[in-house]
Amino acid sequence: MSAAPPSRTASVVEPRRTSAALRQKNRPTSASVDRENRPDSKASATRKGATTTTETRTERRVVEERLIRRTRSPLKPTEASNARKSRDATEKPQKAEKVRSDGGAAQQPMTWSPQATLLPPTSSAPLASRMSMPPLSQHAPTSIDPPPLSNLGLDGQERAVIEDLLFVCMGFEGQYIRYVESYNPLDEQLRLTGPSFRIAHGLDPSLRDLAGGMLKTATHYAALEIFVEVMGREECGTVNHALGAAMRKLLKDYVILIAQLEHQSLTNTGFTLHQLNLHLKPTGHMITQLYSLAQEVLKENSMLGDHEEDVDQSDDFENILESLREGRDTAIPGKKSCKGGSVLRLVTRRLHASAGDPAATQLLTSLLRESSKPYMRMLNEWLHHGNVQDPHSEFFIKEQKSIRREGLQQDYTDEYWEKRYTIRPELVPPQLEGVKDRVLLAGKYLNVVRECGGITDMNRDLSNSGEVPHTFDDPRFLENVSSAYAFANRSLMTLLLTTHTLPARLRSLKHYFFLDRSDFFTYFLELSSSELRKPAKNVNAGKLQSLLDIVLRQPGSVAAEDPFKEDVKVTMSDTGLTGWLMRVVNVQGMDADASSLSIAYTGGGSTTGGKEEKDISGYEALTLDYAVPFPLSLIISRNTLTRYQLLFRYLLSLRHLEAQLTQSWTEHTKAAAWISKNRSKAKTDSQRKIENWKRRAWCLRARMLCFVQQLLYFCTSEVIEPNWTGFMARLEHSAAADDAPSDAADGGEAQLGGAKVKRTVDELMQDHVDFLATCLKECMLTNSKLLRINSKVMSTCSMFANYTSSLSRYLASADPDLAPSNEGSTASSKPDPAKLDKLFSILQQYEDHFSRHLKILLDALNYLAATETVVFLGLCARLSMANEGGPGGGPGPGAYG
Amino acid sequence: MPREIITLQAGQCGNSVGSQFWQQLCQEHGINQDGNLADYATEGGDRKDVFFYQSDDTRYIPRAILLDLEPRVINSIRTGSYGNIYNPENVYVLKEGGGAGNNWAQGYSRGGEIEDEVLDMIDREADGSDSLEGFMLLHSIAGGTGSGLGSFLLERLNDRFPKKLIQTYSVFPDTQPQAGSDIVVQPYNSLLALRRLTQNADSVVVLDNGALGRIAADTLHVQEPSFQQTNQLVSTVMSASTTTLRYPGYMHNDMVGIMASLIPTPRCHFLQTSYTPFTGESVESAKLVRKTTVLDVMRRLLQPKNQMVSTKPSKSSCYISILNIIQGEADPTDVGHATAFHNPIQSMMTDCLQVHKSLLRIRERDMASFIPWGPASIQVALTRTSPYLQPPYTTRPPPRVSGLMLANHTGIATLFKRIVAQYDRLRKRNAFLEQYKREEPFRDGLGEFDEAREVAMDLIGEYEDAERADYLTGGAAAEESANSGADARTDGVTGR
Repeated sequence: MSAAPPSRTASVVEPRRTSAALRQKNRPTSASVDRENRPDSKASATRKGATTTTETRTERRVVEERLIRRTRSPLKPTEASNARKSRDATEKPQKAEKVRSDGGAAQQPMTWSPQATLLPPTSSAPLASRMSMPPLSQHAPTSIDPPPLSNLGLDGQERAVIEDLLFVCMGFEGQYIRYVESYNPLDEQLRLTGPSFRIAHGLDPSLRDLAGGMLKTATHYAALEIFVEVMGREECGTVNHALGAAMRKLLKDYVILIAQLEHQSLTNTGFTLHQLNLHLKPTGHMITQLYSLAQEVLKENSMLGDHEEDVDQSDDFENILESLREGRDTAIPGKKSCKGGSVLRLVTRRLHASAGDPAATQLLTSLLRESSKPYMRMLNEWLHHGNVQDPHSEFFIKEQKSIRREGLQQDYTDEYWEKRYTIRPELVPPQLEGVKDRVLLAGKYLNVVRECGGITDMNRDLSNSGEVPHTFDDPRFLENVSSAYAFANRSLMTLLLTTHTLPARLRSLKHYFFLDRSDFFTYFLELSSSELRKPAKNVNAGKLQSLLDIVLRQPGSVAAEDPFKEDVKVTMSDTGLTGWLMRVVNVQGMDADASSLSIAYTGGGSTTGGKEEKDISGYEALTLDYAVPFPLSLIISRNTLTRYQLLFRYLLSLRHLEAQLTQSWTEHTKAAAWISKNRSKAKTDSQRKIENWKRRAWCLRARMLCFVQQLLYFCTSEVIEPNWTGFMARLEHSAAADDAPSDAADGGEAQLGGAKVKRTVDELMQDHVDFLATCLKECMLTNSKLLRINSKVMSTCSMFANYTSSLSRYLASADPDLAPSNEGSTASSKPDPAKLDKLFSILQQYEDHFSRHLKILLDALNYLAATETVVFLGLCARLSMANEGGPGGGPGPGAYG
Repeated sequence: MPREIITLQAGQCGNSVGSQFWQQLCQEHGINQDGNLADYATEGGDRKDVFFYQSDDTRYIPRAILLDLEPRVINSIRTGSYGNIYNPENVYVLKEGGGAGNNWAQGYSRGGEIEDEVLDMIDREADGSDSLEGFMLLHSIAGGTGSGLGSFLLERLNDRFPKKLIQTYSVFPDTQPQAGSDIVVQPYNSLLALRRLTQNADSVVVLDNGALGRIAADTLHVQEPSFQQTNQLVSTVMSASTTTLRYPGYMHNDMVGIMASLIPTPRCHFLQTSYTPFTGESVESAKLVRKTTVLDVMRRLLQPKNQMVSTKPSKSSCYISILNIIQGEADPTDVGHATAFHNPIQSMMTDCLQVHKSLLRIRERDMASFIPWGPASIQVALTRTSPYLQPPYTTRPPPRVSGLMLANHTGIATLFKRIVAQYDRLRKRNAFLEQYKREEPFRDGLGEFDEAREVAMDLIGEYEDAERADYLTGGAAAEESANSGADARTDGVTGR
């Protein structure tokens, strides 16, 4: 009696198999003793014989089963033996029951023949009990009913109740304590909630109260048994498995305690119900804690049948498809599931809630420690290798395997970077809540580094290394995260900046797309002018490419020294710049312009741009493309490259316009018709008019050239260049910040690294996007109104420049002093006034168009400068120069006619 | 590769300026005295091939043609320190070596005699370039060879390469009334050359000996600056005005772009220059102790005392256009220099801002008045400077910012007026005409003089017109004063 309930620790240390075997050996005797000790047993002698025979049979079967199990899952000896043990423990009373029922069967073989069979193994939960359900005692024939309690004396009642309680505590029905009628052992939900017990009538009230208190523990135990079994299913995930294993260990201790109590009750005649109660108390408390935790987990898993809220937070099809592909059964979408991180969160929450209860705290702490181990394994794998090893989708980082980096070339939405790894917010354990973004980035970065073969110690065995924590309550837990993060960031930064020379790449992009040393490009335009003049669809892109290659290889140009010149390609866009931009600008809503860019780009032949797509010239369609190798394509993604292309095409259009205007300048300066000044002393009216006309044409051309050059200057020197230097300064800063912690880490401690991460790769990407967005905005490419007006002004200029030669012809024919053919004829002295008027009206049209559109543009710019984009103020000041002077409001040709 | 420019140097002045110019270019591009790249010249990013081509043994050869009628200057060049870089086939010295005797007519008619050989040289150079942009002529207009032979060349180039640009750097004589002249007939020579500059050149950068001397005296603190010192100034201006070609940036990478913006109407193509601050190794004592900023430089460029032409602008004189070429510190985004990044970035950004600020200030304070009838075209080009002018390669750091202003100003007409006036004085007395009459262009009389004067007056009239608001609508009065202009270009060359 004085022997206290066995201490849990001792039993854990005890060699399991032997103990189990011992218990098995003990069982028949104890059972038979049990029976023998019952003086009031009716047919003890017959039963005894029956007992021994059945026992040997089951014994053999158990051995067989053990063999089977060993061959089936050799990997998990601990768990297997655990399971075995617990099953053994459960088997014992079952057999006892069976014995009893066998006895009954012997008497009433027709209706009551309880059989225990071994169910075929199921694949989903290898550790679950495979014993068939014993029949319910309520179906037992009344003939084998025990004598009613009221017939027994107080002493006899206590004995009977103790005996029954020992059964009940193992989760079985006793003779007097039985399941309530509503309990159906085939209903999993009811089993998970735990069976309720009912004590037969006639028990002494004091005993009834005492026993009733202990029944709760029995209920909880039975429920936990099932819970552990259910949690052992494969789809529940490793964290639940670990939790189940930890619980199983605790349940085993409980079973040992019951066994010891049984022993007490059998050997110690003075063993009372009170003593039983006393011994069960502390363990009962533990069981209760476990039970309520289990109930909570089950509730979160919606296994308790709260089907009224039809949850449809369906995981995306991605996951389902993937798991189908991998051939494992899926959690049905719509069903709430609680696994991985959320289980940990649950345990942690309970731990916090029970802070005042030392026993519960200890219990939950150990549970948390055990159950977090698999999670930590995943976390470490992610943090230190950049891998997601998460077959049950328990980890809070989700991997979309279908998004591959091969798609980066066509990826207009940064999908790879943004969507390949994402956080499942519902699965973040509270311990990681504060650092989840860091964890995500750390793994993402490492992943990239790994894909580029940048990590050498990939095979470092994390599970056994002492460097990383393996549980949540390790003091190095957060430090592990931040040092891993610092390391990952540093490696990726080094990879990008040093190994893959990002700054040089960007500089090369600047050369090609912003034309910061435009000499090579001027030459290219000159060489390919015959090709580019054609309509876009007739342009031979292959020829352009070869011309570009020639130009890029010319010594002396900036491109010749550029190691990346091979990556530049000529492509012909099928949409004019303005049409494209207008479509981009006009797409409203959705997520910013990222998606709309792709829409605009892929959706080639939409209706709006139908007109201009046909007649754009090669100049308008010319675009450069740039192949970016993998890790850099994260920074220089398709999305950003598209922005580069937009800027390039805008600059190209300006540059082409400038070239056209200078060409017309050359014509104005060199062609005879323009520079000739009549030498006759007597100035006729028409000659003076021609002279005036020329001056006006020159002036208009000068204004246009001024406009274009000022615009070009503004876009390059006041928008791109300062933004570029700012961006590069940030890049340098991050490179410097990148150097610093590596030095510190060499000499000092890795923990310093976490604090020193100033610039992350993501910030770098953001900077890059911001830089381009600012440039686009300040180059007037994001406002539809500005775009429209600007394109009008520019097309006016371009038309004027294109008509220069025909104007020269007109002029030659209108000027009497020119045109040698006129010299002989008499008509030469009489210039055609109609022709002259025509000249004036043409010029007047150009002047009006230019002045009007420029005025509108300036007004719009002024308005925008005041409201949103301050830089436009500078542009206004510049462009207003082009609008100065000129006969914008001057008298028309009629005044001279 | 593209956009090559062939430099022609004629006469004593042209050749001495030219040799300084080439010396400067060699230093800026890191080219040795034997034409090879210096060991340190590895940075790249500069376009040497605009002005040089590479021979088979990878030496850099200037695209220069040296012409003179007497051997003295050219001999001294060829024995000088950079004498070996020139292509000997591109040097032409008249066998007889008599010179032109400060006589335009003599220089002009000698030109006719040596035409074939000279044009051969030019053709060869032109064929050797992929996409010839144009020619640069260096000469003075006061003497005989530069003026006469130069005029002849202008006419021929115009005929032979009608699509190519012709830019001249013309050193005008000191026309200040108080200045004594060593060449008595310089008004004749100047006027006759002026006619060709007006009719046959696309852009003329006017450099005035008087102003050059004054600036040299001011900055170098010497009473009588030597020719070498003034030539130094000229070559600095020349190299500065070509930096955008040699160190290409976003804009102004070809000559035509620069000229198109500066010269809105074809006749007004005489450009004046200002440069600040003068310094460098060869200009020894020009020590600068002030801090230079973009704002400061742009302000000083507008000051008359920094102009390299002595003009007397009237109240109505105004700018037709301005191009400021600001040379800043080496482009921070250039290769290498990862460590020394921080400050240049800051300064470049502030430079951009400063340019804008100074432009605003110039406009606000009306520091420069512009033509009333056209765009107030004031442009700024920010360029890199050669990295080889920095202390590791030279003993003295260059100024932080230096600037060149190319301006088209109507005030330049006053210079032409003075030339015409001096011509008139001389012509009234019929002085020194004999030596001209001996030569080919004047065999048939002195009509050439009158035509030249007409062209000059026409030019002056054009500039005066440009000051008026009714330039485009054509005031009748202005036409009257300048209605006698002759157009030799369409009529072919008349002067032979």
